[in-house]
Amino acid sequence: MPERRTGAGRQKEPTLSPLLEIKGLYTEFRLKTGVLKAVRGVDLSVEPGETLALVGESGCGKSITAASVMRLVPPPGRVVAGSVLFKGKDLLSLTEEEMRQIRGNRIAMVFQDPMTSLNPVFTIGYQVAEGLRVHRDLDRAAAERAAIEILAQVGIPAPGERLKDYPHQLSGGMRQRVMIAMALACGPELVIADEPTTALDVTIQAQILELLDRLKSENGMGLILITHNLGIVAERAHRTAIMYAGEIVESAPTEELFANPLHPYTRGLLASLPELGKPGEKLATFAGGVPLLTSEFAGCPFRERCPVGDESCAHQDVEMHEAGPGHLVRCLKSP
Amino acid sequence: MTALLETRNLVKQFPVRGGLLGEKRLLTAVAGVDLELYPGETLGLAGESGCGKSTVARLLTGLTPPTTGSIRYEGRELSSLDRKEMAQYRKDVQMIFQDPFSSLNPRMRVADIVGEPLAIHRIGTPSQRRDMVAALLQRVGLSPDHLGRFPHEFSGGQRQRIGIARALAVSPRVIIADEPVSALDLSIQAQIINLLQDVKKDLGLSFLFITHDLSVLRHLSDRVAIMYLGRIVESGKRDDVLTAPLHPYTEALLSAIPSIDPKKRERRVMARGELPSPLSPPSGCPFHTRCPYAQERCSKERPELLEKEPGHRAACHFSERIYRRR
Repeated sequence: MPERRTGAGRQKEPTLSPLLEIKGLYTEFRLKTGVLKAVRGVDLSVEPGETLALVGESGCGKSITAASVMRLVPPPGRVVAGSVLFKGKDLLSLTEEEMRQIRGNRIAMVFQDPMTSLNPVFTIGYQVAEGLRVHRDLDRAAAERAAIEILAQVGIPAPGERLKDYPHQLSGGMRQRVMIAMALACGPELVIADEPTTALDVTIQAQILELLDRLKSENGMGLILITHNLGIVAERAHRTAIMYAGEIVESAPTEELFANPLHPYTRGLLASLPELGKPGEKLATFAGGVPLLTSEFAGCPFRERCPVGDESCAHQDVEMHEAGPGHLVRCLKSP
Repeated sequence: MTALLETRNLVKQFPVRGGLLGEKRLLTAVAGVDLELYPGETLGLAGESGCGKSTVARLLTGLTPPTTGSIRYEGRELSSLDRKEMAQYRKDVQMIFQDPFSSLNPRMRVADIVGEPLAIHRIGTPSQRRDMVAALLQRVGLSPDHLGRFPHEFSGGQRQRIGIARALAVSPRVIIADEPVSALDLSIQAQIINLLQDVKKDLGLSFLFITHDLSVLRHLSDRVAIMYLGRIVESGKRDDVLTAPLHPYTEALLSAIPSIDPKKRERRVMARGELPSPLSPPSGCPFHTRCPYAQERCSKERPELLEKEPGHRAACHFSERIYRRR
């Protein structure tokens, strides 16, 4: 790529341009009891062929971040600020019709629970082919042929026969493969997988993750992997972002993050893993809980549970700063 | 040492209606399990969903009777106990469940949930019970202020604490915990694991800990048993089984766990395919359809669970040959 800057200084460095770039995303829920700030200024980016892991505990806002990207935030929630640039185009400014062209086609989602995300009254063949008929304008026979091909790709034996099965006739691992087949049917450029293997046993989980990795390297698609399983993150993600109380608190290349965690929350999470503790010894824990993120909340949301926080953490919103190459952390006390 | 709780050739079958004609078939959930739980130890029972580990728990608590086989408590056959002795058994052996959302009655207050076992077993007067319940809540890290609240007012971790308090109420000797931390977030999971370790040590309890998470298993257990399709395929001391397994299924399970330690990822043995249906289990060794080392003999002859090394049992025809390299 030419080392030449065009136009004003706002032009991005001529590096690999991100596939998806989330900037300053805020998503709120207007409840009777007040405004709940579920996503508070999230910045993230994914490059083609890259796996970005988004990690956090329940309620931290990781699934709402994904829903915001897909413009599927359930009411009374809504995105109140920020942009979601997909290949430079802001998804938040598209019409609903334009968004429908992208959703399930160029950006696809894999959900955690295939039993509730598959429609029980349609055959899996119908459901996998549906996206192809809508987005690729294929006729029934062609869509069915394409569906058989994609089901074979995700490792479903005898896909021609399985096509006529209903979701309840398949095992959990097979249903999850069907979900992945549906997501991949139109050859998306980006897949967002929200806890894709949490409901599965470890031996099946390993097979599904291998499959996602293989398809990603074959097709060069980007993958956002939302999970709370740090083992999966360590094995599969190029970069990792840790989310807490609606904010990204740390992000870094995965190896760097595990070798050199800087945010006290990240450190605490790693210390609480039974895998790292000595058998029988106490695991590290945090006292207390996550504060209620209403409009009045200010300062670092982790301060009450933090071993190094003090008064100064309560009075200012903490900005992300770069602690090393590509290693960002949101903590006043970290180097 | 004699076992506190012991099973011999335990079998549980359930009739199910299946197929187009609705014919009755037998699902063998537990297919001949031998287990021993010794006083003061934690025995970890691991396996994937559908392997029968929760059915073993239900059989041991006496919630459901076995089809055949024996359960002995302090050397006495469970089926031979009279009503009074059975009531004592039900008091001595308590259970903690996986899902703290569905295992607590949503219309009962915490005081009544934790106090109910005391009332059922007629322990103390109502006012004594109130004091005992308050002390139990403190024991599990809750405050007596919580007594009048309902389950929905608590987080998952707090509900699991309530479940633990209820199990401890009648001073049991054995706790059977079925996936007690699987539904919890990581940092909460660590709190509950620590709490279970504390009460076990302080009260001198024996634990049967059922989990599919091998890192939790390793952290908590003294001995472990690995189950597959209703059978124990390997058992022994924690470190023997989890660092030098003698059964290919244990090896596959261990290597399938995503690890944050890059060194553990080098040698990966994958189990092929899916878990067979317990309605039509494979002939011979139940694992042969997925085993990377399976030979012809494995599909014909079922291997017995045999002692291959001192205290370390495995059910595999070829474990000596496969694992001789160690």
